[in-house]
Amino acid sequence: MTRPAWSGYFSTFQLILLALFSALIVVAKIVLRTPLQLPGHTGIFWMAIMLVATRVVPRRGAASVVGVTSGIMAAFLGAGDFGALNTFLSYTAVGVGVDLAMLLLPNMENLPQAALVGALGHTGKFLVKWVIGVVAQAPVGFLALGLARSIAGYIVFGALGGVLGALTLLALRRAGYFAYLAEKK
Amino acid sequence: MSQTKRLLIGIVILGGLAGLVLSVEMWRGAALAQSAGAEATLTPGAVPIYLQGQRVAAFEPADLERLPLANFVEPVENKTQEGWLLYDVLRLYLPEEALLADTQVRVISTSRGKSAELTWGEIADLKNMVMFDLSGRGTLKLVSLLDRLATRDQWVQDTDRIEVNVP
Repeated sequence: MTRPAWSGYFSTFQLILLALFSALIVVAKIVLRTPLQLPGHTGIFWMAIMLVATRVVPRRGAASVVGVTSGIMAAFLGAGDFGALNTFLSYTAVGVGVDLAMLLLPNMENLPQAALVGALGHTGKFLVKWVIGVVAQAPVGFLALGLARSIAGYIVFGALGGVLGALTLLALRRAGYFAYLAEKK
Repeated sequence: MSQTKRLLIGIVILGGLAGLVLSVEMWRGAALAQSAGAEATLTPGAVPIYLQGQRVAAFEPADLERLPLANFVEPVENKTQEGWLLYDVLRLYLPEEALLADTQVRVISTSRGKSAELTWGEIADLKNMVMFDLSGRGTLKLVSLLDRLATRDQWVQDTDRIEVNVP
């Protein structure tokens, strides 16, 4: 029996790493609490983890795998205000958004590029939540500027997460982690 | 392609997405105001309040300055909820004679098919912290320390109607 062409795209070791990053995102979302009462503030650690994952497993689609896997875990754990489907799709959107943004901005150790990828990926999550709201005929925002504030929050915190991720990658490089990882593949 | 060009394209895409969302939302607000007919005075996003089946008022963003902010840390997820007490909202719009201990208050989310039924006695007991928190997409969600409103599944997200019935 012939194996499908995609079967060797990620090595088992890489899939394990991606699964660990997925679990880290879900755990961080549940456990880490910031005193900020601003929409999208969790993007700081969310995007940082996602960006580190894309460099540790430098294959196109790595972020999407993390997004889908973390989405499944989060949906089963009942995370999110708007139900399992919304949770799964919004986690997935972050991964797909990061992968798409990385087609244009591939260098995650470059701070401006990482910030923009973080902002774009996190905006993907906002878009999914908003589209589901529109489809479900959710009421328009209570405050006239409520939605603008939300978008701004997602962009700013996504960008900050991207910068944090890039700084983490630079620290890992200095520590020789990527040289160590190259031997493990 | 140079990095500057890549960054500029990225910023344009980001701005375009934000502009698209805000434009569609403005259009939705305008369409809602147009289709409201007899309720045309309702500001888009405002939550109408019905007393004995008649619309008597609407919880309007313009009135927020007249309402004190409240907050509590909900015990299940240790998350801070911040917003406006339903007690203050109803006292602002309804006559005192409508707010008796056994007055029934129903907070409804039409789009999510959810509602919560409370008595004025429960709402007026301020240790229950029955209040509206602003959700991530700018709509109101009803949260509380009451057992039956303590978890995400029980909160009423996207609240768009309040019904009050005096027995």
